[in-house]
Amino acid sequence: MMARKKLVLGLLALTLAAPGFGAEPAPAGTSRPVVNPVDPASIAALKKMGANLQTLRRFEVRTDLSSETVLEDGQKLQQSASAEIQVQRPNKLRALMWSARAERELVYDGRTATLYTPALKYYAITDVADNIGAMIDQLEAKYGVQVPLSDLFAWGTDAAPLDQIQSAMNAGQDIIGKDLCDHYAFRQGQIDWQIWMTVGDAPLPRKLVITNRADEARPQSVSHLVWNLKPTFKDAIFKFTPPKDAHPIGIRPLNSK
Amino acid sequence: MKRTFSQLSLAPLGALLLFGFVLAPVAEARDGGARAGGGGRDVHVNNSNRDVRTNNVRNTSVNNVNVNRNVNVDVDRHGGGWNDNYHPVATAAAVTATVAVTAAVVGSVVRTVPANCAPVNYNGVVYQQCGSTWYQPQYVGTQVQYVVINPPY
Repeated sequence: MMARKKLVLGLLALTLAAPGFGAEPAPAGTSRPVVNPVDPASIAALKKMGANLQTLRRFEVRTDLSSETVLEDGQKLQQSASAEIQVQRPNKLRALMWSARAERELVYDGRTATLYTPALKYYAITDVADNIGAMIDQLEAKYGVQVPLSDLFAWGTDAAPLDQIQSAMNAGQDIIGKDLCDHYAFRQGQIDWQIWMTVGDAPLPRKLVITNRADEARPQSVSHLVWNLKPTFKDAIFKFTPPKDAHPIGIRPLNSK
Repeated sequence: MKRTFSQLSLAPLGALLLFGFVLAPVAEARDGGARAGGGGRDVHVNNSNRDVRTNNVRNTSVNNVNVNRNVNVDVDRHGGGWNDNYHPVATAAAVTATVAVTAAVVGSVVRTVPANCAPVNYNGVVYQQCGSTWYQPQYVGTQVQYVVINPPY
């Protein structure tokens, strides 16, 4: 503790003794003037990650999310939620979502999607498209049901248009868990977002931060992702079998009363 | 109680939301409580001490980069996404709390039903009967809500 204090003081003295240290303009040629706000290399990295995601046929991924609500006076509260999703491309997905408030199960078998609430034993089945991307769009647009980590199925496809990105930059490297990651920051309309993807030939997103600029309090979500590319689940998990005592109920389309 | 959301003034809305919030966990807890971990580990969450001010939510974070935001997230959608049960009004339709003293209007929507309701199966449909009032559960987004209906028989 004492030694640390001395070190800090020493550093402080050193800094003071060298006026302009740190404030000195970088020598010509070492700082790159920013001409294009969209750094092509950052876009290329995003493309590469998207392409890699699309090659994954069978995987499971867990996410721990911190999200925020903004109260009327601008004060923010943070909430926690988690989800586990299991995927067999192109048309099978199962998602478990839980938080202090609710637990939900979503099961997609390639033809129908079932939403289940274990605590109430109610489930709703609806016909959906025959691929994961279209299924996600349908649930979102028709029922307002969001699938966790839906970006994983958009990146690398037309659903994630890269020309919408107004700013892209490399923010250096960072370590998430034990993984070395490249850190990128993007600006897209009212959304600022950052992604940490593992380095190497098969980049995977390990962390995602999304800042909503539509509100001056800038509510932000933070997701940490943990991947398993060699899952042991069976195909049977993609078939919803109602538990005993469970009841089917309807699901209301968004535009109806 | 047959008022639309836009007609509600702020004060009664706050009161309604308080009811809605306090009662909401009860509904999910009825059959064993909120489970955490997705693996059946029972955890009982108690929010009875939660401050009413936490319900005055004006906005939320978003969870996805690539989502069609043409539709107003806060009015038509379920709020902040898959993890969200925080947004005070789940839909543009009027969502009112279960206030026992008020006669339930057919077509109105509540988030929870009173504790004295009994589940009734009729013609393959599950209802909640509470005295002379009947509710039919439905999903709105990922949330179960209850519509007041005419008695099915």
